[in-house]
Amino acid sequence: MWIKPWTFKEGFLIGAGLLFAGLALQLSVGPVAWDVFAWPANGIVMVGFLAIIALIFILRKKVYAFLFLGMYQAAIPAMVYAVVLTIIMGLTRQQAGGTWLNDMLSFWPFVLIYVYIAVILGVIILRRLMHLNSWKRDVPFLLNHLGLFIALTTATLGNADMQRVKMITAIGEPEWRALEQGGAIKEMPIAIELKKFIMETYDDGSPKRFASEIQILTKTGKNIETTVDVNKPYEVDGWKIYQYGYDTQMGAQSQISILELVSDPWLPLVYTGIYMMLAGAVCMFVIGGRKRV
Amino acid sequence: MSWEHFIYFAIAAVLLWATGAWGAWKDKTGMAYTTTVLGLLTFFSFILSMWISLERPPLRTMGETRLWYSFFLPLAGLVVYSRWKYKWILSFSTILALVFICVNLFKPEIHDKTLMPALQSPWFAPHVIVYMFAYAVLGAAVVMALFLLFRKKSFTSEMEITDNLVYVGLAFLTIGMLFGALWAKEAWGHYWSWDPKETWAAITWLAYLIYVHYRQLPRHRERLALWMLIVSFVLLQMCWWGINYLPSAQGSSVHTYSTN
Repeated sequence: MWIKPWTFKEGFLIGAGLLFAGLALQLSVGPVAWDVFAWPANGIVMVGFLAIIALIFILRKKVYAFLFLGMYQAAIPAMVYAVVLTIIMGLTRQQAGGTWLNDMLSFWPFVLIYVYIAVILGVIILRRLMHLNSWKRDVPFLLNHLGLFIALTTATLGNADMQRVKMITAIGEPEWRALEQGGAIKEMPIAIELKKFIMETYDDGSPKRFASEIQILTKTGKNIETTVDVNKPYEVDGWKIYQYGYDTQMGAQSQISILELVSDPWLPLVYTGIYMMLAGAVCMFVIGGRKRV
Repeated sequence: MSWEHFIYFAIAAVLLWATGAWGAWKDKTGMAYTTTVLGLLTFFSFILSMWISLERPPLRTMGETRLWYSFFLPLAGLVVYSRWKYKWILSFSTILALVFICVNLFKPEIHDKTLMPALQSPWFAPHVIVYMFAYAVLGAAVVMALFLLFRKKSFTSEMEITDNLVYVGLAFLTIGMLFGALWAKEAWGHYWSWDPKETWAAITWLAYLIYVHYRQLPRHRERLALWMLIVSFVLLQMCWWGINYLPSAQGSSVHTYSTN
């Protein structure tokens, strides 16, 4: 054990060490408090995280453990732990504020394993960038790995900046207040007035269409008349407006419509990662398993 | 066109596919291509007519997705055949397609015309169709793995086949998952909410990633790699339909549409 070169054994032990470290953290400081990552904290953490990855990469020749992070013997055990923890997540009922396994997203061992995967991704991406030799191999590799790295890190860190509020709009009354997830009232930079709520049903009474004809007034001076359908949100000033609900007692005669307003400033970064992974998947299909040497 | 006509299309398609499979064994490549394509066209014309008569893509219920699965298995077989010329692949894809056709004949689960607003999206068809294709190819990979593990005692060159199948399957799995994320943003306001279906999709995806990475190791155990494929495919079943029976997912998944 711990004789160079390290093998899967060491890889699994490092992962187990992270699990124990996570348990210790969970016991001492409680679940991961994701709220503290709101801007600018997440920006600072992102920069710090990238710096740490760069440092690990630079010191890889000096510190064997750092070199090891770039090996399959580190990456595969990390993925195995991630799969096992995610399976546990899939088998247990999840709810925000649940304890330990019931709120896996705030469970330190789960979070640490995924952070570990992100570090490994960062290190192997840097190594590949420093040793580019064949675009046919490197481009798909970078699309897949860098895409995943970007999507994973920005989605996680950006989550604290995402705002999701519900606005109850009524006919003839412009509304600019919205309800936050905790129930607090938030004043919005946009006011919405419901012109008409639309509900259509099939012959058997099952729902066919929910939509709201609305008028939007923004602080930036826009005056927009539009229709918001399920699956067809409307975007204005960084807010996506979704059809969310209505007065179920009144049905098609509902005089109100509940809209959800979502702002996610990190979305373009996450989508960059997603589109890179999509391109990477296309490469994977085209090139297939042929690339092994 | 209605569901009662399915059996005629199914019989015609299976006969054509079987002829194609026989052609592949006998090295009659031209015949293998023509009859398999004709079988696919026959089967697809049924799907298309269902689509038209239902006035929505037939993708909502398990029975409807099985219809696509039966279609994609021979298509995946044909793609693999055209690329790597494995003689057995068409026989195998035909038999698997037949199994799913039989399931649909005995348990149709084809429903009415209704399509809830949440599913009325241009993402609906590509998301599910890409996933069904991935499942079909990965199904081929797992049968190959079972064959190598329990029938053929020694193998090396055959591992390349499972690799190729997994790469194609994983590529489509990735695309299906990411299409799902892009759609989720439009429909539910967020691209990833750790809904039980999403959690199990992530599990499945990661499991196949482990196989792909393990196979890159210069020195590794091939039998272990094949076992990974079997485990991964079990996890995939969980994602596909298993979560419908999972207590932890009851009532918490926004992915349940077929319960009337």
